[in-house]
Amino acid sequence: MNYERELLKGSTDSLLLSLINREPTYGYKIIKELEKRSNGYFQFKEGTLYPALHRLEKAGLLQGKWQRLPSGQERRYYYITPKGQKALVERLAVWQNFSTAVALIMKPTTG
Amino acid sequence: MPAKSTYTDRLKDHLRLDSTIKNNVVREIRTHVEDKKHELVESGLSEKEAFATVTKLMGSPELVARQIYEVYSQGSWLQAIFAALPHLLVAAFFALHWWQNTFWLIGILVAVACTAIYGWSHGKPAWLFPWLGYCLMPVLAVGILLIYLPVNWAWLAACAYVPLALVIVFSVTRKISKKDWVFASLMLLPLPIMLGWVLALWILALEGNNGFLSHEQLYDFAPLMALSFAVLALTVAVFIRVRQRWLKVGVLLTLEISVLGIMALSGKSSINPFGWAGLILLAVILILGPAMLERRQRQTSRRPLNLSRKSAR
Repeated sequence: MNYERELLKGSTDSLLLSLINREPTYGYKIIKELEKRSNGYFQFKEGTLYPALHRLEKAGLLQGKWQRLPSGQERRYYYITPKGQKALVERLAVWQNFSTAVALIMKPTTG
Repeated sequence: MPAKSTYTDRLKDHLRLDSTIKNNVVREIRTHVEDKKHELVESGLSEKEAFATVTKLMGSPELVARQIYEVYSQGSWLQAIFAALPHLLVAAFFALHWWQNTFWLIGILVAVACTAIYGWSHGKPAWLFPWLGYCLMPVLAVGILLIYLPVNWAWLAACAYVPLALVIVFSVTRKISKKDWVFASLMLLPLPIMLGWVLALWILALEGNNGFLSHEQLYDFAPLMALSFAVLALTVAVFIRVRQRWLKVGVLLTLEISVLGIMALSGKSSINPFGWAGLILLAVILILGPAMLERRQRQTSRRPLNLSRKSAR
């Protein structure tokens, strides 16, 4: 089992909620943002982003809307819902507690 | 643009969802493919290289289709109960001896017909198909009535009835398979069980009482008949609730064969082991046959498309 892949799998929803909470955006831009903000660390198989977005939408955490860009092209923008914002706050708290606890145990021993 | 059409076509081929959701997903992923291709062409790749790279970066369309299917394939508990309801009604029909009361019989028939019409005209949701299965029961009922014709007439009528019944069941199955073959399997689910009970009761009637069943005989069979339809109701509810496609098909196969097994092992019927083996084979054909039908339909519908692509070249 790939440990890194398992970690990413468990964090994908929180990453997406966090990114969409900053500003409504669409699939292609989300991939670009994830790559940019993580200095190239997060590289998804791009097609597999959509099942995650649709799962969050079905759970009522996101809402997708087709919007026309100034260029005339249409893109499906995702907006975070109040339920999504609440879920994000909860997940951030859990993540902070978890990462603090992991860091306390896994920090390299000194001296 | 072969690579792009291949990716979204393959995605569309494997995406077995309601057409509105399906078109929305394909349209969304198509815009992603176009954006990515545009970016790669601007970075210096040729159109052909860009398409090949995009296809690789997007990942397997089969995997994406499967994951999206699993997002939408799970029905709510309410849908599960509603889908299981026709089997529960039939189970209650036998458990509570409703066959003695014409009111209940007519009530169930009207409920089945109205629900099937409503579901058919409202987007054919997953809960519709168990109800639709009971709409095929008049076909079976006509077959049962043939038993009571004089022998010579019965053979003559059977020669006309069997092909006609097969045509009706086949054409309905083909139509449902266009939406998704698992729904056709769901619709055909009660047929082997019904046929099993009809055969069991028919043999019993032939053994005594001049070809007619007595109330006592029917009372004797009723609890097991009720149980078999209650298990079908459970099968349908589990089918609606699970997300994975292989699990849905597995549930249909396992529980249907289990019901036929219980019927055979109960020792109530005089159907011989070959008869039961035939019924189990029929159940497997009715559950998996629609998959082959759908595959054939897809191949047939793709052929003119391939021909027009070749002629365009």
